[in-house]
Amino acid sequence: MPATTENNQGSFLGRISIRRNQVLSMDGSHEQEIEDLELFQKHVGDRFSELLSSTTSDDSSGDALLSIAWLRRLLDELLCCEAEFKAVVLMGRDPSQIAKPPLDKVLPEFLDRVVKSLDVCNAVTLGLDAVRNLQRLAEIVVTALDVAPLGDGQVRRAKKALSALVAAMLHEDNVGTKGTERTRSFGRRAGNNNKTTAPIRSLSSTMARNWSAAKQIHSMMSNLAAPRGAESSGLAQPIYIMSTVLVFIMWTLIAAIPCQERNGFGTHFPLPRQFTWAQPMIALQEKIAEEWKKKEKKGNVGLLEEMHRMEKLAQSLIEFADSFQFPAETDRLDEVKKQVAELGEICKKMDQGLEPLQQQIREVFHRVVRSRTEFLVVLDQAGKLSTPTV
Amino acid sequence: MISSEKTNNSFKFSSQAFLHILDTFQMLVVECAFWVGFILTSDSIIFADMEEHKSVISTCEQDQHVVAAAQHVLKALAASKTVSDNLRKTLLDLETQLSSISMVKERQGRGIKQLERHLKCIEDKLMKWEANPSLTCDSSFNESSECLKVVGEIQTLIQSLESFSVNDKWKQKELLRRANKILEVAMQRLEEELVHILVQHKQYFEPEYMSLHSNRVNMVYGESFHSVEDEQIAEASRSSGAGQSNANIVDLVNPVVLQHLKSIANVMFGSKYHQEFCHVFVTSRRDALAEYFVILEMEKLSIEDVLKLEGKCLNREVKKWIRAMKIIVGVYLVSEKQLCKQILGDFGSFYQSCFSEISQSFMLHLLNFGGAVALGTHTPEKMFCLLDMYEVLEQLAGDVDVLFFEEVCSFVREEFHKLLRSFGETVKSTFLAFKNAIATNPSKTPFPQGGVHHVTKYVMNYISTLVEYGDTFNLLFLDESSTDPSDNKHETSAVSLCPMARQFRSITTTLESNLSNKSKLYKDEALQHIFMMNNIHYMVQKVKSSDLSHFFGDCWLRQHAAMYQQNARCYERVSWCSVLSILKDHSGPYCVSQRTLEKRCKEFCTAFGEVYRIQTGWRIPNPQLREDLQISVSLKVVLAYRSYTGRNSSNIAEKYIKYTEEDLQSYILDLFQGSPKSLNYAQHRK
Repeated sequence: MPATTENNQGSFLGRISIRRNQVLSMDGSHEQEIEDLELFQKHVGDRFSELLSSTTSDDSSGDALLSIAWLRRLLDELLCCEAEFKAVVLMGRDPSQIAKPPLDKVLPEFLDRVVKSLDVCNAVTLGLDAVRNLQRLAEIVVTALDVAPLGDGQVRRAKKALSALVAAMLHEDNVGTKGTERTRSFGRRAGNNNKTTAPIRSLSSTMARNWSAAKQIHSMMSNLAAPRGAESSGLAQPIYIMSTVLVFIMWTLIAAIPCQERNGFGTHFPLPRQFTWAQPMIALQEKIAEEWKKKEKKGNVGLLEEMHRMEKLAQSLIEFADSFQFPAETDRLDEVKKQVAELGEICKKMDQGLEPLQQQIREVFHRVVRSRTEFLVVLDQAGKLSTPTV
Repeated sequence: MISSEKTNNSFKFSSQAFLHILDTFQMLVVECAFWVGFILTSDSIIFADMEEHKSVISTCEQDQHVVAAAQHVLKALAASKTVSDNLRKTLLDLETQLSSISMVKERQGRGIKQLERHLKCIEDKLMKWEANPSLTCDSSFNESSECLKVVGEIQTLIQSLESFSVNDKWKQKELLRRANKILEVAMQRLEEELVHILVQHKQYFEPEYMSLHSNRVNMVYGESFHSVEDEQIAEASRSSGAGQSNANIVDLVNPVVLQHLKSIANVMFGSKYHQEFCHVFVTSRRDALAEYFVILEMEKLSIEDVLKLEGKCLNREVKKWIRAMKIIVGVYLVSEKQLCKQILGDFGSFYQSCFSEISQSFMLHLLNFGGAVALGTHTPEKMFCLLDMYEVLEQLAGDVDVLFFEEVCSFVREEFHKLLRSFGETVKSTFLAFKNAIATNPSKTPFPQGGVHHVTKYVMNYISTLVEYGDTFNLLFLDESSTDPSDNKHETSAVSLCPMARQFRSITTTLESNLSNKSKLYKDEALQHIFMMNNIHYMVQKVKSSDLSHFFGDCWLRQHAAMYQQNARCYERVSWCSVLSILKDHSGPYCVSQRTLEKRCKEFCTAFGEVYRIQTGWRIPNPQLREDLQISVSLKVVLAYRSYTGRNSSNIAEKYIKYTEEDLQSYILDLFQGSPKSLNYAQHRK
């Protein structure tokens, strides 16, 4: 995937920079700029409508909404947008242009959002650890139940892992904030192990003490308003678009992956209905919000498609395990066999997908850090130009 | 197995033959029944070695009884006098054949029976444990390894059951099912025991275990141009870095239980419970590491929080981080990996993936803090903080490469190197910012008293602290080679040609030009020279008295000593020439009137008084430099005064000779002390 990303960028960046060089030597750079901006908007719109259509297409080849594969595509789009954004706003530009109002206000706000998104990236990375924990438990279930004939021993083994799995899904949501205690041995009789359990476990997978994903996304959304009037044709526009893309993607990540403190996580944030580029994003947001509302009531570990399916399977298997008596009915066994196979399939997907996803999140992290640095350098240069040294 | 097949066939044959005979000799049934009863009751108490059963064909109990009965019948028949010799022979052959089979059969029969009894026995034991869960976990681990023994027994039992090829499949399956069930119960027990041991026997080493000192850090962090004092820096000598890693392996788990843990691993892996083992192991070890983070007072901070930290707070967090990095990477994780290897080393790559899962999120936590600091704005004040962080990363790079060598851990390794690189860049850009800050240090009002400017002190202290980071610095600036115009071609010593030396000379050149700008703010030209003299002298002293001398070289020192001496001469010329010119012998061939002579004397006194009034307020902080200049001035002034008064003593009335030579000398000693005085008071003294 990174390969395609780079290709996309490469061609686009090349085009922009060549054009801008030509343009700078001639007049009419403004027209050129408007064209660049329109192109950028169009690309953003296209990218997200592709993401949208992959979730609506009926054939199974498309990636399900909020599945690992889909999230990876989402992050790819972020990387592409980001590269184009930099090309439009930063490349070959005179620092003084960037320090002019309204950019002198809009740009620092954008950079502030960037910093906030870094913490989201970290929180989500930790969240992926929690998902991996679920994967490990599910793998035990699969190992235990994927035998014939199925005896009490195997069912018992599976049941233990299943209870831990279901409990983790219920608790993971608010790790740390409520001091959720979990036994180290994910087995029964937690009460008997009092001496050995301490509420430390959560420490390994939390952010700073008072950090809240919900608050973070709220503060990223504040001040996010579309530029008006004359500003809307200038550089404030791509900055606004990029901010929106960034906020939207961070919002999606938080919704999908277990995250610290999501109480009060808003399912809606204002997306500009008047712009074409925002339409697919709005549609996606509605879909995700709908999913969120469905789950909100019964404690929600995250909307990650694989995790969601895992939860359903786990519930059903736990029912089976609870009522298990040797020998089980053949019909029921066939059904269990199918469910175990599906669970195994999910584990495999997680096994293959989680690490690349984590690395991709890290790449996003590094990429926005780099951009931020580049912007700061330009702002710094601009600052020096405006205040001559003594 | 071929031999077994054969036996099987012959057995079938003989059993058929026997049944035929049995039909004929109905009357012996009673005896048969007796023997059946005997076999059942004589079921041996000795527990047969399971291995023996593996190669033998199984049979059901009934068969056994039949065989035994047949044997007996055959014997009885052969002993009968009514049978022909031929028949007797056949019967005896049959009996011999049967007996050889039945010996095995008997043991085997007892085997399966015993397996079942044994199974029952273990089931009972586990039932008891179930009923009283404290039996295992709360007892000392010697007793609780009972659990380990039981699991071993069940495993052997299952193996034996599985290896029996079957006539009675149902029975075998039933037993296997029961065995698997108790295996699961026992495994669960074992798992709890594992948790118990991991928690109860984990160990931490005192953070003080490593002597970590970085008092050099104390000085410039968060200080600005205006508050650095020399004394602080004098103390800030660099202490040698932390100990060599790898030697630093500590026991994170009490070594007494290591073997036991290993046995548990063996048993759990042997029964394909490796997932459970790894899960428990990873979770427990992660918890232990999390606790250790608490011990090290490593609070989690978000990137936003770190960016908001300033001055002392940041300084404190950075110190904690450096300490934690050294301890966690250099000692703890090295030991952790060793522990994983000790326990899981026999099972292929499991120990690596477990180690990776235990350590990854903690490493990312540490690296994130570093990344957040690197993200912040890089004022020159942060330089040493950044350098310290860079150095600790570089120092640990080797450890990290070894610790996270495997493919599963490559993520952490790459992140680490990314951070290291980004710190390198940050240090460089911060140094440039420092240079830039010197060049653009604003000069609006003249520095009072012409003393040593804060900027000069700051810069010199700054770079003399930098010396301690020489190796790192040289490495980072290696590529910024000799484009520096201030390079001195005459310098030959290697040190004075290193990147750091070049950067330093370039820094002082920048400083000199900034100082020269500042000096222009004085209206009094003499004070301009005093200011330059003071500052250049300070620089020279600072270089001479420290390791900086190696970097600047003799040539630079000579040049700059000449520079401040030149300033001193200029001062004397500007300040005293006009004053002394009053006393010059203008007479030439003509005779000057007494009145003129007296007037000149008065003029001189006034001029001297004026200089005195102004220059007592000036400052030369260095006593030696001050004294030298005073002596030099004194010599000139007193000499001129003496020769004037001596030459014209007859023509000048005493009242005009206001000062004695000694007076002048002592007045001159008042100069440059920084406390303005006036001679009006002194005049009244006379």
